[in-house]
Amino acid sequence: MSFDIMLHTPTFALAVPLLFAFLTILLSKFSKKVGDVTFLLGLLLTGYFVFLMSYRIFTDGGWVYTFGAEEPITLNFFRITFIADGFAALATITIAITAIAAGIYSFGYLQKKMPSDKFYTLFLLTLGGVNGMVLTGDLFNLFVWFEVTSVASCALIAYENHRGRSVEAALKYMVLSVVGGLIVLFSIGLLYGQYGVLNYALLSGNISRIFLDKLALGLLLVIFAMKASSVPMHMWAPDAYGEAPGPATPFIAITSLGSLFVLFRLLFGVFGVGMDTAAVGAVLVILGVLSMFVGVTMALVQDDLKRLIAYLSVSQVGYMTMAVGVGLATLNTVEYQNFGELAMKGGFFHMINDGVYKALLFLSAVTVVHKTDLRSLNDLGGLAHKMPYTTVFFLVGAVSIAGIPPMSGFSSKLLIYRSVYLYNPILAVIALVVSIITFAIMGKVFFNAFLGPDQGLTDGEVSKLMLSGMAILTAMVIVFTLFPGLVVSELVTPAIEALSEGVIP
Amino acid sequence: MIELVLEDIWSPIVFILVILLTTLVAYLLYKMGNPVYNRTKHKGEPFISGNRPPKDIRKIHVAGDNLFWGFTDALKNYFEPLVKSHTGKLNDYLYWVVITLAVVLVYIYMAV
Repeated sequence: MSFDIMLHTPTFALAVPLLFAFLTILLSKFSKKVGDVTFLLGLLLTGYFVFLMSYRIFTDGGWVYTFGAEEPITLNFFRITFIADGFAALATITIAITAIAAGIYSFGYLQKKMPSDKFYTLFLLTLGGVNGMVLTGDLFNLFVWFEVTSVASCALIAYENHRGRSVEAALKYMVLSVVGGLIVLFSIGLLYGQYGVLNYALLSGNISRIFLDKLALGLLLVIFAMKASSVPMHMWAPDAYGEAPGPATPFIAITSLGSLFVLFRLLFGVFGVGMDTAAVGAVLVILGVLSMFVGVTMALVQDDLKRLIAYLSVSQVGYMTMAVGVGLATLNTVEYQNFGELAMKGGFFHMINDGVYKALLFLSAVTVVHKTDLRSLNDLGGLAHKMPYTTVFFLVGAVSIAGIPPMSGFSSKLLIYRSVYLYNPILAVIALVVSIITFAIMGKVFFNAFLGPDQGLTDGEVSKLMLSGMAILTAMVIVFTLFPGLVVSELVTPAIEALSEGVIP
Repeated sequence: MIELVLEDIWSPIVFILVILLTTLVAYLLYKMGNPVYNRTKHKGEPFISGNRPPKDIRKIHVAGDNLFWGFTDALKNYFEPLVKSHTGKLNDYLYWVVITLAVVLVYIYMAV
């Protein structure tokens, strides 16, 4: 029997970061350099297996990777499944790109600021956890990965524990995560008690409009929306993103994006068949509009650089939620062909875009704070004189998040405007207004922090490793900018097909 | 064949080519300008509506709070309660989760 490594890539995408998380801290005890190399190796290997898995998905189609019993069964048999389909490929690629860039950045950052071994371990544990969340094919497994991600990212937020604010942010994140985890477990219990199965595919065949199913749907929807920092449950996000140690910030934001991927998987793959998708889609649309508008207007009044970008991140989550909500609301209708599918394309394209340019903005902001020890826009100014590369990286991220043509953010937003207009023109108007305000905010940040006379706040650029992390993300933004058609046809469309066709049994 | 056009509605490559072409035209017009202009005169001096620049260079820079003050002040009836609702208290964060849960569950029970 030959060993087909491609077939086992989903489990490697989980096992490698988990294994290397513990190897890193173990080997760091012998030598810091060995620990650093182990971390980098773990990160790159995870990325390698994610890209191998995605390659197989795009060439041969998706498959279900199973531990335990081979056939779907109902009771008393051990069976853990991971779904490797177009949707999983989109999610894991987004996570991997950000993780690799933030990981490389962290090398330079941690050399001066703080001990690195535990940071690397927590970073890899979070990576394994969030990969598990988006790849898993059953609900209890989802709960396990949800908890792994929550515990590891909570510890990451509190990593600079000499700062009271970090610990406070981590405490808030932990309480909300624990409450969220318990509610997720309760809703899993409801479904398991009702049908005796936890597998997505088996559940989707059983779900109907009975009270307990509706209760489970509502609970899961709200908790994963909260973890995705959707308004009005977003308030933990600026605290967590603002106080997490520099290189961890974009990665904590990516765990939120991971929760959004899970939410969409559950709504389409588990509840999409038996429920009224128009009504559930409307909930997403409302949450999306609230997130867009409240997020961007709260960003407008911020003067703390990291909190400002955190609120913009909340606003961007709104775009994705609204667009996918329109897709869900029109699922299985003629309107899906007319504009629902286009909204989904816009939403998912925006997810990968947002994952990359948001990480770039966070890393640029962290670079500014790292070099100047200042966070307030009232105190910053003239950084472009001494930090030209960081200025360019920030500018690329800023024009992209603001949706300025020809940047990638514009491409995905264009699809969203065009499709949601046909669902309800007011949504498109709100999305446009939010985009304009985002542009104004980015103008304010760029003007305040980077332009103006040199105020002598920094002695120069950061290390080449830190610049490399930002350069990787900038390169990805430019690729997405130049070839949006390619990204949508090769990466986004397979994800949408995988979702709309339901979960592979 | 690489897909260069997004959903038949948008091609960034064409947009970039148009920008480059426009830049070229602008450059040609610039080259046709007055060649006797003295580039060194007033070079580097900020122009603040004809006012004399302050000696302290920091006073030239507009701070973050100043930039959209007019906008936020005009809409203070919206911004003040919005900012106040972000209390930073964990209890309030949990209240919002409970309120959202209640609203969504009632809606799903009635509508789905």
